[in-house]
Amino acid sequence: MTAVATAVLMVTAACSSSGAPGGGSTGSGKRGGVLTISNESGGLWTCSFNPFNNSVNYLSTGNVYEPLVFVNALQNDKTTPWLATKWDWSNNNKTMTFTIRDGVKWSDGTPMTAADVLFTFNLVKKFPALDINSIWQVLDSVQQVGSNQIVVNFKSAAVPYFYYIADQLPIVPEHIWAGIKDPVTFKDDTPIGTGAYVVNPCTAQNITYTANPNYWQPGLPKVTTVRYPAFTDNAPANNYLATGQAQWGSQFIPNIDKFYTQKSKDNHTWSPPITQVSLFLNEKVAPLDNPVVRQALAYATDRQQAATIGEGGQEPAGHQLGVVEETYPDWVDPSAKATDDYSYNPAKADQLLESVGATKGSDGIYVLNGKKLSFTVINQGGYSDWVAALQVVAQGMKAAGIQLTVDNLSNDDWTNKLFNGKFDIGYYGETGGPSPYYELRQWMYSANSAPIGQPASTNYERYNNPAADDLFNEYATTADPTQQKAIVAKLEQLMLKDVPVIPVTESVAWYQYNTKNFTGWVDQQNPYAVPAAFSYPDMGQVLLHLQNK
Amino acid sequence: MRFLLRRLGFFVLTLWAALTINFAIPHLLPGSPVTAMMARYHGRLNGAALQAVESALGIDTHQSLFGQYLSYLKNCATFNFGTSVANFPTPVTTIVGTAIPWTLGLVGVTTVLAFLIGTAIGSIAAWKRGGKLDSVLPPLFVVGTGLPYFWVAIMLIMVFGEVNPWLPTAFGSDNTVTTGWNSDFIGSVLQHAILPAAAILVTSIGTWVLTMRNTMVTTLAEDYVRMARAKGLPGRRIMVDYAARNSILPNLTGFAMSLGFVVSGAVLVEYVFSYPGVGYQLVQAVDNEDFPVMQCLFLVITVAVLLSVLLADIITALLDPRTRSAR
Amino acid sequence: MTNLLRAIRHNGKAAAGLFILLLFLLMALVPGLIAPGDPARITPDTSLGISGQHILGTTAFGQDIWVQVVHGARPALLIAVVSGLFATVLSVLIGVSAAYLGGVWDDVLNLFTDVVLVIPTLPLVVVIAGYFAHHSISVMIIALVVTGWSYGARQLRSQALSLRNRDFLEAAKVRGERRSYIIVFELLPNMTSLIVANFLGAALYSILTASGLEFLGLGDVNTYDWGTMLYWAQNQSALQTGGYVWAAVPGLCIALLGTAFALLNNAFDEISNPALRPVRRLRVAA
Repeated sequence: MTAVATAVLMVTAACSSSGAPGGGSTGSGKRGGVLTISNESGGLWTCSFNPFNNSVNYLSTGNVYEPLVFVNALQNDKTTPWLATKWDWSNNNKTMTFTIRDGVKWSDGTPMTAADVLFTFNLVKKFPALDINSIWQVLDSVQQVGSNQIVVNFKSAAVPYFYYIADQLPIVPEHIWAGIKDPVTFKDDTPIGTGAYVVNPCTAQNITYTANPNYWQPGLPKVTTVRYPAFTDNAPANNYLATGQAQWGSQFIPNIDKFYTQKSKDNHTWSPPITQVSLFLNEKVAPLDNPVVRQALAYATDRQQAATIGEGGQEPAGHQLGVVEETYPDWVDPSAKATDDYSYNPAKADQLLESVGATKGSDGIYVLNGKKLSFTVINQGGYSDWVAALQVVAQGMKAAGIQLTVDNLSNDDWTNKLFNGKFDIGYYGETGGPSPYYELRQWMYSANSAPIGQPASTNYERYNNPAADDLFNEYATTADPTQQKAIVAKLEQLMLKDVPVIPVTESVAWYQYNTKNFTGWVDQQNPYAVPAAFSYPDMGQVLLHLQNK
Repeated sequence: MRFLLRRLGFFVLTLWAALTINFAIPHLLPGSPVTAMMARYHGRLNGAALQAVESALGIDTHQSLFGQYLSYLKNCATFNFGTSVANFPTPVTTIVGTAIPWTLGLVGVTTVLAFLIGTAIGSIAAWKRGGKLDSVLPPLFVVGTGLPYFWVAIMLIMVFGEVNPWLPTAFGSDNTVTTGWNSDFIGSVLQHAILPAAAILVTSIGTWVLTMRNTMVTTLAEDYVRMARAKGLPGRRIMVDYAARNSILPNLTGFAMSLGFVVSGAVLVEYVFSYPGVGYQLVQAVDNEDFPVMQCLFLVITVAVLLSVLLADIITALLDPRTRSAR
Repeated sequence: MTNLLRAIRHNGKAAAGLFILLLFLLMALVPGLIAPGDPARITPDTSLGISGQHILGTTAFGQDIWVQVVHGARPALLIAVVSGLFATVLSVLIGVSAAYLGGVWDDVLNLFTDVVLVIPTLPLVVVIAGYFAHHSISVMIIALVVTGWSYGARQLRSQALSLRNRDFLEAAKVRGERRSYIIVFELLPNMTSLIVANFLGAALYSILTASGLEFLGLGDVNTYDWGTMLYWAQNQSALQTGGYVWAAVPGLCIALLGTAFALLNNAFDEISNPALRPVRRLRVAA
């Protein structure tokens, strides 16, 4: 098993757009073709397509169920209208008004209306287990105005929440779901959505999606059959890709040149980084409460080797700025970048540690205030790439006089320790969002933290800095990109100075594709969606863009 | 009859022991479905939502331990194993149910095959004691019993899947073929079974060969065999009707008792070949910390072994007149 | 010891088994002399083939495979010997007591042995390991001992039963020796061969099961022994990327060590007790 960054994305800019079609390819390519997806699923299919169920929603969100707006994390939060044609902020960014598209039908032929959208919002309110992004914690009320408008009222200015309500909430039909007694355990094995595909049929071994004849975008989708076999393991999934039996892959392929790309000129890969996997330094544990010690640890972290050896060179090294530079170059503040010299530098670590009075013991490990600089890092034992990356990090730290013991735990135990702050150092990758702001907020916003022994929602290292909190609060009230970037620049400076977390590697959306029979794939020149098959609703966008050759 | 009743009693007792172990493990060891579920939802699940999930999983931590034990036994008796954590809200029985036919087909058939072939080779080796066959095969099979199942599986994949890509190395069938009674599917299933079956055969056959040979060597020294020889009965008849028939009974008992080892090895073989049977599902469930599925699978495997033991006992009783009388 | 020497002189299988075992023992005792280096050391020289510098090439993490194989002998033997030893002690305690105490004790202990014998061990061990947050060697050894003693107990019981009414034991009884004295000084010495055979069998079971568990990732993935090497090889798709040596050699070592134990066990069985020899692996239905 390999750690996979589930792309949970958000939007920052409040956009207003007029109703162009909801993404997809134009032109008059022929229809037909069979596309096979190879994405390690860990188990056989349960044929559940409930879009509010965290473990299966990636199978139906985007292709079967559609959201209001598509937000592209790879193109500076570019928005594309989907089931909504128009949206506007008002009331000091506290109210969002959506105009719902006309002429959309559910796959059973019933028209989709604003009432369905209203129903969906209220459904997740009534059943909190369905509200997987906790939108009702920030929502005040949702109303329908006229025949085709939905007005969403927030409790406070909430520009960053646009993504959750517009892109991450799949709209479901009232005429079906109103009759479901317990939507939490509802299997939804024959989902009725507005999307380009219907499920036809699903078995434990294979899901077949076929084109929805009632789809509202005429002529789409071009690829009319999509197969999604259950790959219970990485190796066979990768074999399917290498032999061309599957054309769209979304998992780590070890030694990918030999395994995949060299085997055919049609085999390609481009896995864009989205978030970072970081060392969370517990600020309630001495001497990690000392920022100088944390800085020393950052200098003693060999990110480059962790990326090239631990992750086989397929994930770039992380940046202490806290921003995934490759994907969000506009968000990197030049002056912050100029001061970032956190490359692997044991001498610098020595110097910092000695400046606070640490001395090297006979075993080569520093002692500070009578305590050895020896830390245990808790890790998710099932993610073999993380295990390997941490071995590299520990090796590099040892050379800098810091002892790091890797404790590989079961997911269960690791999560509990991480959430409750019972660790020296934790290794974890956040879910992030389409702008760096989100990952930074998850790391550094004090309201996301909790006392030791109580579960924190994201700020596991227990960083608490009022200056950072003010910056995050300010961000939520502004829809101006320049101002947003200025705020993130200040946060980058805090990352460099305070080192609340040490980003070690970046975490990518795994993506391999075969161009023999299909064109229109996402690539570095045209990153129109996050290209991993497990990214939702992005996978729906990718399927709409594909063309038969 | 008394023999069978005793064995039936043993079956019930062992079944109860297995059920109790299965209940005790999660209560004695760390880890629980609730925390696993919380971990899965990364703490986003709280308050009412968490309670809803807990009740759907059938977790009731407020009952006394004995009360929980009783309702657990009741649930087992009614095949109510709750809901999978990893594939919420699929019932555990659905997941386990899809796995059972695969394992029955692969492990069941190969185990019986290994027993039959092994017994045949063993009796021939003993019959021609000291001959070429007898000097070469037994040591070879001793080596066979020392081989790790999963490594044999890996080597088979290396030779027949990678170096020479002749045979499929993963899954129970081609997963684009429609499941059902059609020739494409059956052909694909058979093709996919070749390598895993070979791995189980190679490693499990040795035990039967050795046991059968050793038993038969003793039997051949018995008076009634010498008598038969003295009477000038044809060799083949002595071998089959006199020696082999009387040696096969202890081998059958051994077969039943050693089934646990074979099943254990098959778990690893299924894992290496991603074969969708109970062993593979068990490893997956452990990986996913899907405790309800894990427990149900352990029970299924144990019950299967127990039933085979019982079956072997019944066959023994049918074949061996001695067990029918007193004892 | 005399038994052992006799076994080797008269039995080619025993000699071969002992030779392999000694070879691995040497590896376990002085791994640093045979293959100097740190088996965990990660270097940028990833996935290299066989060369003078790296006798068996390197892993996908740039670790030297030869160094890992040699250093892997110690943990592998440790698990085999320690859990084999403890399982044998348990077998002797339960099997011999059952036979010697007789009556209800025998019935109860014998039934208990049969129950444990029938329950499939690997699934049980997998389930036990699944519940533990840490996967350490000690947890594994405990699980192996708990599940690995029953077969031996069964065998030892039947031999003890056959010895119980022998003259020398009767004589001791007449002399008025205490029960514990009779068991320890009269009965057990006459069973050493079978006890050794059982230890070898339990060690074989332990090495195979332990490496299986480690291969599944249920061992400590930070310690390098053959099972964890295979875990990493499988994890990095060594077979699919040409890393055949990485996937084959650790397994070959397990197979060789397993074979050594199996050969010795088999030889000891044959030598230990002629009466038991032919009925090995056979149990009379209760």
